[in-house]
Amino acid sequence: MHQIVGCQPPIKLNEEEERRKKKKKKQKVTDMLPVVVVHGGADHIPKERSEKSTLGVCSAARAGYTILQGGGSSMDAVVEAVTFLENNPSFNAGCGSVLNIKGEVEMDAIVMDGKTLGSGAVSAVRNIANPIQLARLVMDKTSHACLTAEGANRFARSMSVPEVPLESLITEYSRMRWTKNLAADANPVECQIGKMGTVGAVAVDVEGNVACATSTGGILNKMEGRVGDTPCIGSGGYADNQVGAVSTTGHGEAIMKVTLARLILFHVEQGQSVEAASDLGLAFMKSRVHGLGGVVTVDPQGRWAARFSSLQMSWAAAQKDTLHYGLYTGEHSTQSIEKPV
Amino acid sequence: MTMAEGFSNGIKPEDQERNLKMSAVVVVHGGAWAIPDDLAEASVDGVKVAAREGFSVLNTGGSALDAVEAAVRALEDNTVFNAGHGAVLNAAGEVELDAFIMDGRTLATGAVSSVKNIANPVSLARAVMEKTSHIMLTSRGANLFAESIGTATVPTDTLVTEYERKEWEKHTNYVSGVMEDFNSQWKVSAVAHDTVGAVAVDSAGNVACATSTGGIRNKMVGRVGDSPIIGSGGYADNLSGAVSCTGHGESILKVTLARLILSHIEQGKSVADSSQLSLQYMGDRVCGAGGAIVVSPSGQWAATFTSERMAWAAVDRDVLWYGLDPKERLKEPLSQ
Repeated sequence: MHQIVGCQPPIKLNEEEERRKKKKKKQKVTDMLPVVVVHGGADHIPKERSEKSTLGVCSAARAGYTILQGGGSSMDAVVEAVTFLENNPSFNAGCGSVLNIKGEVEMDAIVMDGKTLGSGAVSAVRNIANPIQLARLVMDKTSHACLTAEGANRFARSMSVPEVPLESLITEYSRMRWTKNLAADANPVECQIGKMGTVGAVAVDVEGNVACATSTGGILNKMEGRVGDTPCIGSGGYADNQVGAVSTTGHGEAIMKVTLARLILFHVEQGQSVEAASDLGLAFMKSRVHGLGGVVTVDPQGRWAARFSSLQMSWAAAQKDTLHYGLYTGEHSTQSIEKPV
Repeated sequence: MTMAEGFSNGIKPEDQERNLKMSAVVVVHGGAWAIPDDLAEASVDGVKVAAREGFSVLNTGGSALDAVEAAVRALEDNTVFNAGHGAVLNAAGEVELDAFIMDGRTLATGAVSSVKNIANPVSLARAVMEKTSHIMLTSRGANLFAESIGTATVPTDTLVTEYERKEWEKHTNYVSGVMEDFNSQWKVSAVAHDTVGAVAVDSAGNVACATSTGGIRNKMVGRVGDSPIIGSGGYADNLSGAVSCTGHGESILKVTLARLILSHIEQGKSVADSSQLSLQYMGDRVCGAGGAIVVSPSGQWAATFTSERMAWAAVDRDVLWYGLDPKERLKEPLSQ
């Protein structure tokens, strides 16, 4: 019925060759797993904040990797990694979220499990420290896939998820940016800074299960109730054990128009590598709707990519006890996972 | 699996020629579920009226976007359908509505989720698309926006029918509705209900889609289904076609059904095959049943469902096609 194109059987191989190839493939698979890749948003990141951003994604990747090494599922790993990013005030998710036009914080988050295609999302939820954990509860504890606004908060209360005061989610920086953007003489270029700092993670566990998680405070000075790409399945993220997993960041309205996560996985289904598929998806978004963004992508074999069309994207990946990270296009540093950055 | 499609049984040469001239087509659905007999006739009448409404917009030079909005408004205004007037009640006895509209020319999109007490959510979704820099507004924010553009909220009692009030009281909990409303070859974990939707192609070859729903009876407060989610409840792209989906929302979300159907069309499959493959996949992979209407930029169309019934109607040239039961494909001249 639904076929993954691109997996063609070998035409003629003698038995030994075939066996050798199989063994090699199997070995490769074991080597490559587990893996976790995180992003801290595709954005123009001010220089003074870039170091914090890199440190943040590295520690989130480490946290996710620790879960995976302890035999945890990819779902546990992505939720852990994103929880780290939400708790870090340098990122636009959880604590550190941007403020809407009224100076309030409304957050969106999604998780998706590639094994079952189950997903959970919350949109425009308030006063929750870790929306990603609430999204997971929607998946695990309800028959629904998305709860919004007051309904999401009501559900949080029923699950005994504590509500935190608004002030605990607001940083001095986000308050400053909000005030600046409200000013009559606000610089429109500066207004774009920090606009697209969604965070997210994708992972593959040792069993080959993929998962994704994405969380955001949305865009600066957004209207009350604005929902972006993040909690929309196929836009902010998608995960399918038969293909791979994607978490996206960038210009939310553009990402939605092309359902970026799903688009990239269609390319993977057609036989493209995770890197080529990510680039194709981002290039299409740029040419068709003039949107910039970034993605982290994995396939069930553990191949991964962190790609972006924006100026920067802070990202980090952990695989084979090695930490990979970068911020600018072409930048790719590696080090042992044990060492601090 | 059942299916109705345009130009399926061998394309006649004269059809092909007309096809090249980009004949305008509109297809509407009134929801894929186990429609009870006492609602059958009214459902079919309702989709026929909506399809005529949409087509008359196309006929007088309106765009595909105008046509799908008009068709869905007609369905929202009809109390037989679970959208606008006639919407179901959530667990708290309130009306929360989702709607979505998309323009295949620009990929521009507008959506509202969990908006309270709006008679025509599809028009509010279009206003989000045209009057804000956002795509989706939710809950109170959507109502505040409605207020700011002068869209009136209406009392719950004007949206809720006596039928729905009784049904809601009968179904004391959500789970009890599952097997009654949703009785098909695939078991599902939740009840399917009747979203409405429309797709159209205008004479310029632009496609559009619109979807609107009251969601699932006794849903949790704030539950958002597939309808307002781009790529799930609907999608429209002039390069491939337009789709509007209905059925078990959580299953539709899992497979991003609208986008999945269009990806098959992008790979060269027919609108009918693409719909059939995708609905079958949704059944096999996540045990969900539903339906979809599809139109291609060249005017090919299909109305397909895996649920027990789906009320659908299409106007293609001067013929009104319609059906409700599997394999049912009736037609009458449009002028009738």
